[in-house]
Amino acid sequence: MIRSIGTYLPPWTSGRDRAVGADEDAVTMAVAAGRQALDDVDPHDVTSVVLVTRDFPLLEGGNGPALLAGLGLPASVPVREQLGGAPAALEVLAGGTDGMLVIGSDLVPAGASAALVGGGSAAAAGLSIDARGVVNRSLPVATRDASGNTTDYADPRLLRERGVGVSLEQAGVTGKVAVVAGLTGRAAAQLSRDDAPLLPTTGASAVGFGLAALAERGEGGQLLAVEQAAAVVAQVGSGAAPVGRDELAPLPTPPTTLTPGADIAISLAAYERAFDVKLRLEAGRCTTCATLSSPPRFRCLGCGSEAPLETVPLPRDVVVHSQTTIHVPVPGKRTPYTLVIVQVGDTDVRLLVHLTAANPGSTRIGDSGTLVFRRVAIRSGVPDYGYAFLPAERTTSDERKVAS
Amino acid sequence: MVGAGMTDFGELFDLGMKDMVPMAVAEAVDSVDKGFERADIEAAWFGELVTTDGFATGILADSCGLLDIPVSRLENACATGNDAVRHGTMAVASGMYDVVLVVGADKVRETSSRTTFWDWMAMTRDMAWDFPLGLVAPANFALHVNRYLHESKATREHMAMVAVKNHKHGVSNPKAQMRFEITIEQVLEAPMVVEPFGLFDCTPQSDGAAAVILVAEHLADRYTDKPVWVRGTGLGLDRVMHQHKADLTTFPPTVKAAKAAYAMAGIGPDDIDVAEVHDCFTGVELINYEDLGFCERFGAAKLVEAGETSVGGRLPVNPSGGLKAKGHPPGATGVAQCYELWEQLRGDANLQVDGARWALAHNVGGPTAVSAVTILSSEKG
Repeated sequence: MIRSIGTYLPPWTSGRDRAVGADEDAVTMAVAAGRQALDDVDPHDVTSVVLVTRDFPLLEGGNGPALLAGLGLPASVPVREQLGGAPAALEVLAGGTDGMLVIGSDLVPAGASAALVGGGSAAAAGLSIDARGVVNRSLPVATRDASGNTTDYADPRLLRERGVGVSLEQAGVTGKVAVVAGLTGRAAAQLSRDDAPLLPTTGASAVGFGLAALAERGEGGQLLAVEQAAAVVAQVGSGAAPVGRDELAPLPTPPTTLTPGADIAISLAAYERAFDVKLRLEAGRCTTCATLSSPPRFRCLGCGSEAPLETVPLPRDVVVHSQTTIHVPVPGKRTPYTLVIVQVGDTDVRLLVHLTAANPGSTRIGDSGTLVFRRVAIRSGVPDYGYAFLPAERTTSDERKVAS
Repeated sequence: MVGAGMTDFGELFDLGMKDMVPMAVAEAVDSVDKGFERADIEAAWFGELVTTDGFATGILADSCGLLDIPVSRLENACATGNDAVRHGTMAVASGMYDVVLVVGADKVRETSSRTTFWDWMAMTRDMAWDFPLGLVAPANFALHVNRYLHESKATREHMAMVAVKNHKHGVSNPKAQMRFEITIEQVLEAPMVVEPFGLFDCTPQSDGAAAVILVAEHLADRYTDKPVWVRGTGLGLDRVMHQHKADLTTFPPTVKAAKAAYAMAGIGPDDIDVAEVHDCFTGVELINYEDLGFCERFGAAKLVEAGETSVGGRLPVNPSGGLKAKGHPPGATGVAQCYELWEQLRGDANLQVDGARWALAHNVGGPTAVSAVTILSSEKG
């Protein structure tokens, strides 16, 4: 059973597809989709997380702790990093146990989806999902090795006939299915019913986008996941599961300049000290006078107490207190970029963060928005995660100019 | 103060730290009216932000022939220069030394202009929270100035007036880096660096060194009949991170440093005849007017609009051209401001403020968390 579903699409477009922002990767998108699936879910109900992607930010070093912190799940929840595309995601999901959060995340086309396995509530009975066929055959028309080198055999007819065609036969798929994950355009249309939803991604996340479409229709049907010569087909029931979509309105990718320069060394000692409060968006709270501080401090900003602080989560609704846009080239950074100081919710806390999912320079003092999990930088090969300001209203800077 | 000297400010590619420092010291020594023996110097302070070419105090001692006295390095962000003057003053005032040398120098253009931002920011940013964001120095100040523009009546035009004024002043300063006039339109139309700062709202990147010689009151006559008196010093600090600064439209370190310096001198802002203030970015000079008490809160726009801070106005600010036109090698800047005011108070300045008796030098810097103020006078008091 599927208890809830979440999706995420970045706003940036590359042709007809969505593209990742400079501050996004498979983990940040997984967090965005996962948070949608976990809306209204007690975090303690989540017993494990499986991230399915072919775009892990780190092959060594571990993506799990950042993922859990962004999702707001306890650090003790087991995380499985599963390399794979749509068939792998569907196989994991169909065989999932209660409390398993399965997230698919893809860079090209960009997007992520998440589904929580488990019994539904009184309000929504949940969506049943049963695997009916799993076929794994080798026809590697496209390859990518451990160093990221790719090859393309470039023979679509071979792939269609001896790859997808034979695998579907072996999986027992005879008629047209309700939705196809892993293919686009004509290839998908040939295999699915006329009313099949168009999915924005083709990798592991496509399964969740397909499930979300079926859940919203409340009809159920066959969900087919294909990746080259691998195929998994599952029967989805006609039950109901809540769908949360964090799908940002499309924006053309703004022109930016990346200035080459020496890599700025990270301090891993400082990274480790800040990790939990920074990635979980927590502040220190004085145990004497309750003054909040972010980052947490040894000595209280309010009363000067030096008693150990407790940490508390911060609200995520914010208002811009000041802002600036950096145009001058900064080595290792894409320019222009916008930094904002935001006032956090009804607290006295202000944070310095970058603007995300909006054109640089498009925000003004007084604008409201939310804090979202993003990658602040990569230093010495380490993704450095934190929070960014997502304005409630996003406009291009050109529109701003006209307006002002 | 019985002697003062400085190198030209600019992109001094042909000079290293070991050249600039002895050049500034030699000029300070030569400026002493009745002659000066280096052997009289009992101790020295060296203000330097970044250790270009290595071990700072050794370079000063070695390059200036001062191997037999104690030398200490002082670093206090962009307030380094005036803080070094403050330490030299304390050394003499305490009675421990009678003759001290204060030097400030920095070589910003020793690395590629492309990497300067990073080269100079690692020391001033929280490594986990601010550094990865790319909070470069101009952005540091822009976050203040944008909020200031939002709350006050000041506009980018008022900022441009500061640039036009300081460039005009700088034309007559032979040691200034940018000796040309600019127009309001040029400032407003210049390429954007960090909003709201266009190219002409920003100080250039500069190399340079400056030195002053401070002696005990009872020895002044031996060196000159026209000494300049250090009448007040102050240093102020604030919360380091912007997230923790309550009001971005003011620099509390300046308010604190000025209060201390005015109190020591026994005067107020109305008594100041000429000032050299920290105009690293044009909008910062506006905020400085208010923090130093030259006008009421949010009154800076009116002040600059009326030309009151131009030479010929009620309170000329930055007759040297300021950081904006004269240049800004951070460690040297505060010491060089005192050099300019030394000339003003002795009536020797290129762009002389008539009858100047009281002068104020001011730095604000780091992540806008430190300020140093020095008050000088032609009168002993």
